[in-house]
Amino acid sequence: MTQRRKWAAIPGLFILAVGAVVLSAYSGASSSQGRGPAQPINFPHPKHAGAEKDGGLGMNCLYCHNNANKSADVGMPAVSTCMGCHTIIPGKADSSKREIAKLVKYASENKPIPWERIHKVPEYVHFPHVRHVNAGVTCQTCHGEVQKMTRVYQYASLNMGWCVNCHVNGYDPKAGQKAAGYDSVPPANYAGGVPYGTPGSTAGVVTASANFTPPGMGLPRDTSTQTAGATPSVQRRRARYDCASCHY
Amino acid sequence: MSNDTGATDVKRRDFLKVLGVAGAAVGTVGCAPEKVGKLIPYLVSPDETVSGVSTYYASTCRECVAGCGIIAETRDGRTTKLEGNPNHPLNRGALCARGQSALQGLYNPDRLRGPMIKENGAWKAVEWDAALTVLSQKLRAAGAGNAVFLNQHESGSFPAFLDAWLAGYGMRPHLSVDFESDSAAIEANRRRYGVAWPRLSFTDARLIISFGADFLETWGMLVPQQLDFADARAKIEGAPRFVYVGPRRSLTGLNADQWIACKPGTELAIANALAGMGSIADAAQQSGVAEATLQRLQQELSQAKPVLALSGARGANALELALAVAGINQANGAIGTTVRPAEPMSGIEGISRFSEVATAVERMRAGQVPVAFVRGVNPAYSLPARARFADAFAKVAFKVSFSMYPDETTELCDLVLPDLHSLESWGDAEATRDTVSLQQPAMDPVFSGTRATADVLIQLAQKDPSNAARYAQKDYRSWLIGRFPGGMSAFTATLVKGVGPGTVAARSSSPAPVTTLAAAPPIERTTGDFYLVVYPSPVLGDGRGANKPWLQELPDPVTKVLWSSWVELHPETAHKLGIERGDIVEVSTAAGKVRAPAYLYLGIRPDTVALAMGQGHSSVTKLDAFEPKHADPKLVQWGYGRYARDLGVRAHDLLGVGSDNAGGFALVSTKASISKTADHETLVSTEGSARQHGRGIAQAIPLSEVGTSPHGDAHGVAAVAEEGDKKAPAHGEQIPGAPSGAFLPGLRSPVAADAQGKLGSPSSEDQGTQKGMYAPNHWSGMANRRWAMTVDLARCTGCSACVTACYAENNIPTVGASWQNATVFAEAKAGFNITRGREMNWIRLERYFEGADDAQFTEDFEARFIPMLCQHCGNAPCEPVCPVYATYHSPDGLNVQVYNRCVGTRYCSNNCPYKVRYFNWFGYGEEDRKQYAFPSPLDWQLNPDVTVRGKGVMEKCTFCVQRIRESETRAKTEGREIAPDEFTSACAQACPSRAITFGDAADPQWAVSKQVEDRRAYHVFEELNTLTAVVYLKKVNHPGPASPAKV
Repeated sequence: MTQRRKWAAIPGLFILAVGAVVLSAYSGASSSQGRGPAQPINFPHPKHAGAEKDGGLGMNCLYCHNNANKSADVGMPAVSTCMGCHTIIPGKADSSKREIAKLVKYASENKPIPWERIHKVPEYVHFPHVRHVNAGVTCQTCHGEVQKMTRVYQYASLNMGWCVNCHVNGYDPKAGQKAAGYDSVPPANYAGGVPYGTPGSTAGVVTASANFTPPGMGLPRDTSTQTAGATPSVQRRRARYDCASCHY
Repeated sequence: MSNDTGATDVKRRDFLKVLGVAGAAVGTVGCAPEKVGKLIPYLVSPDETVSGVSTYYASTCRECVAGCGIIAETRDGRTTKLEGNPNHPLNRGALCARGQSALQGLYNPDRLRGPMIKENGAWKAVEWDAALTVLSQKLRAAGAGNAVFLNQHESGSFPAFLDAWLAGYGMRPHLSVDFESDSAAIEANRRRYGVAWPRLSFTDARLIISFGADFLETWGMLVPQQLDFADARAKIEGAPRFVYVGPRRSLTGLNADQWIACKPGTELAIANALAGMGSIADAAQQSGVAEATLQRLQQELSQAKPVLALSGARGANALELALAVAGINQANGAIGTTVRPAEPMSGIEGISRFSEVATAVERMRAGQVPVAFVRGVNPAYSLPARARFADAFAKVAFKVSFSMYPDETTELCDLVLPDLHSLESWGDAEATRDTVSLQQPAMDPVFSGTRATADVLIQLAQKDPSNAARYAQKDYRSWLIGRFPGGMSAFTATLVKGVGPGTVAARSSSPAPVTTLAAAPPIERTTGDFYLVVYPSPVLGDGRGANKPWLQELPDPVTKVLWSSWVELHPETAHKLGIERGDIVEVSTAAGKVRAPAYLYLGIRPDTVALAMGQGHSSVTKLDAFEPKHADPKLVQWGYGRYARDLGVRAHDLLGVGSDNAGGFALVSTKASISKTADHETLVSTEGSARQHGRGIAQAIPLSEVGTSPHGDAHGVAAVAEEGDKKAPAHGEQIPGAPSGAFLPGLRSPVAADAQGKLGSPSSEDQGTQKGMYAPNHWSGMANRRWAMTVDLARCTGCSACVTACYAENNIPTVGASWQNATVFAEAKAGFNITRGREMNWIRLERYFEGADDAQFTEDFEARFIPMLCQHCGNAPCEPVCPVYATYHSPDGLNVQVYNRCVGTRYCSNNCPYKVRYFNWFGYGEEDRKQYAFPSPLDWQLNPDVTVRGKGVMEKCTFCVQRIRESETRAKTEGREIAPDEFTSACAQACPSRAITFGDAADPQWAVSKQVEDRRAYHVFEELNTLTAVVYLKKVNHPGPASPAKV
């Protein structure tokens, strides 16, 4: 191959490569972000978990998703958990009655509800919910403001860059708390021991006691990488981003 | 290279640039959104479970007669791992390979799904009610007194329950069958000590003499014996010397310090001579052993008290041998010290003799048996062809099998009522006298169509008016609780721990009088040029393990052959006959002939050939070779399932139906002729070279040099040029370019020092000048820890339990099944992948021979076993060669493999001096491939914490990183640091020798951080400066008092 033919070949390959990149970008860069499939029961999160001022019941996420602070997998509430309340709550509006009737049907037929899964990381990624929840990361940080979603959709991209961004730059507790709806009023069970909104407090998420430092507090904070959008007063908390923390 | 000459002259650098861009693009396109599927919640969440968090159930292992305590780890309703129960008096937390593999019995894809009945020779599925009605009618019609019930031997309440049930129908007691156990030793124990099996204490012995007793394999109770033996050897000074007498060096024999290679059957002469009942000269003459050797042994025996002598040779004179050996024990202070009749091992009590089974078969042949039941045993396979079991069985009018698997005997039956696995059902076992070990279901039945035999028996009795009154309980569990001392509350309390005080309602233990069969003719009078030794496989046992791919894939610890049968010949014999490794040899005796490839083995007498039992399962129904793509899932895989059928040969078909005087099956009872055939095949083996070639991989020092080891200095920097292994290169050639003689002295890089950034020295002087790939001050704090491992070769017996434990923990696929090879240019032959070097075992047991260099027969050679796994080098050769950064060093000292980065260049494997990286050639973890290693429900066993690897990635030992992360999470959640020795790796946990210690070498409170500074510590290939995190402790040899010290 002469010099000239070589330089003819390389742009050819280059064009192919660029084409591939464009195609991949067009295809949505491999994330299901925004996907929100219809569910077998049109479960209204705003009604259950929405703030009381918005007409919700203000239930804590952990009331139903009660493994989130215990296990790597959160799992879904058992049908019996739903029926705990709905045995006596048939719903008011016709639309709610219709959906609750579906639930009762599943329960009476002893069938589990086949929920459409929305969030899933690839199988070579190990994401322990327990570590994140107990470190004070609010659910809404990754799942979006579910308490306001009429139909739950995938809020974050769940791509590795998105994970690593938080692990490297640090989690912003203030932003997380704000997403969780604790932006102005301290939650009822607030027991942080410091005025609400104090930098570093894990208000409303983890109850700290005198002899127990919430896990995750030990990691050094990093002020050098604060971006323009970050709350200046906030202490961002970093996490390890070694490959083998998640990939094994 | 210039730009204008060659035709392919794109500069390397240009090429890489283009490749980089194109590669990135392809990478991006290749990522498709994940398939997400459904989320199915519980209906009612079980109280004690949290999804994603394991629950642990204490239970009892039923894979052999021992009945070790196990803990079944169950995640979301599926048992994923078995571990030893640390509270159990027998196995103290350890578990052997066969015990680990119980899981693959539970999830075996060929398990029978529900009851079936044979109508006009064809099997038909049937409902339970209908099946029980049929059986109930047959029971009433039959003149039941002569029915035969063959049950797998187990201790505990079930045998008594079964006898009572049989008595209700007027049937005689059942036969409690175990084809592996040594009837002669049991009978001798009973006569001398009044118990079937006294506790054997190896730690108290000064000298151990085994006459063919393979106590590290199938003789007696493996795990308790191995634990104790390893403890004894770990004493170093004061450890007992071990002499093995027998024609073939088994795994146990390879662990001996001295081998006395007597002719088969002449162990008795030697034992008698040692006991003073015969002359040494006679014994030497009969056995073919040098007189001086026996004299030295006798002298040693007279000086070493207490001694522990064991008999396990299975010839026609086995009982006489066992009694003579008991005499040696008696005369040498063994009773009460090394042999403890006061602490009997109850699990062996009540095993029926081979002769009783054979007599029952003859009664069948005579047409006296109207009904026969078989549960958990497989006589159609386990009895030699000469017993003509199938003919006799055909004379039985109605034959019922309770088998879980489509084995040979079940195929001959008329009705199958598939039992539950021991991990799905209730039971108990007598661990030791006055200790009861409970067996509980760890999960719901895998197949809803199966029922526990004990429950079925109760249901049957309840159908029968005359019996119903005796069974008020609704199931066996209620029956068990009703009989349990202390009732429900005691039962529940015991259940939590798995084992507790109490006696079980054992069956009346007056053993049946000894019946013998026509005695086998003296071996010398049989025809043939070679003595034939047939032995139960240490891995597959008497054949019951053959349907479990983990066990098929586990290399035999002695020969390293897997997925097949082989004939062991001494190289000297083979040379004479012109036989080479892999040549197909025909072995024939008066009883039959078999053909198998030859394996040339140093540890067998030149006048002897040996074959292992366990393979050679076959079906009567003609079935095609299993082919995953086209196999009908409803087709019953007769012949013991897809993993066992048509592999290898049945070695025991070479034997006649002869017994010893205790009624045991005489396994060494005939001579055989061998002839070479024209065929040859590549032996399926993971053995590379059996020699170390001076590489110093498995090192050893004689006892006398232990104290003088240069490792006195804690961190091993003492520049002493002497090393225990300085003589090692003399055994083979020098490595070109290697420094002469000794390797580098001592531990150059204790892993703890590495963790603190002090490579090469305990002082910080050269800190910064010698650095591995290790950042001691990593901001994450991970570098506070340095995960490391020590392996004590003085303890390791080569049993390979660690290998299977690793398969179970890390979702390692088995790759040797005949359908798992390449799609093109490959033959459908079991083990084909392994012959092509595509084996997949993250930890392997290497076995090396020292001595016997010229392949002439000698008793004087040594075997060394060394578990080889990723060494997690501080300075790893694999890491810099990875073009995609898929392997790198984590701050906590792990050499990490990131599967999703790996593109499969295999450079890392090429650059790994330890050859511990394995390539996933065919996507064994991908369900839609024919090579899929986990056909449902085997995939239920997969550990959810470990990625199931797909095609084209490199995999290797991770130091059980998932366990590290799990412990970190647990500690973090509980707001504390990980406690020292809080967890360990799967291999260390299973090890029945307690040879492996895993932990944090940077924290002095962990056991491993003390072990790495042991005076026997060394790194493999230390001269490569890999700074490994796996530290081996040298094996210690105990040369005989009169023989020259050898390394």
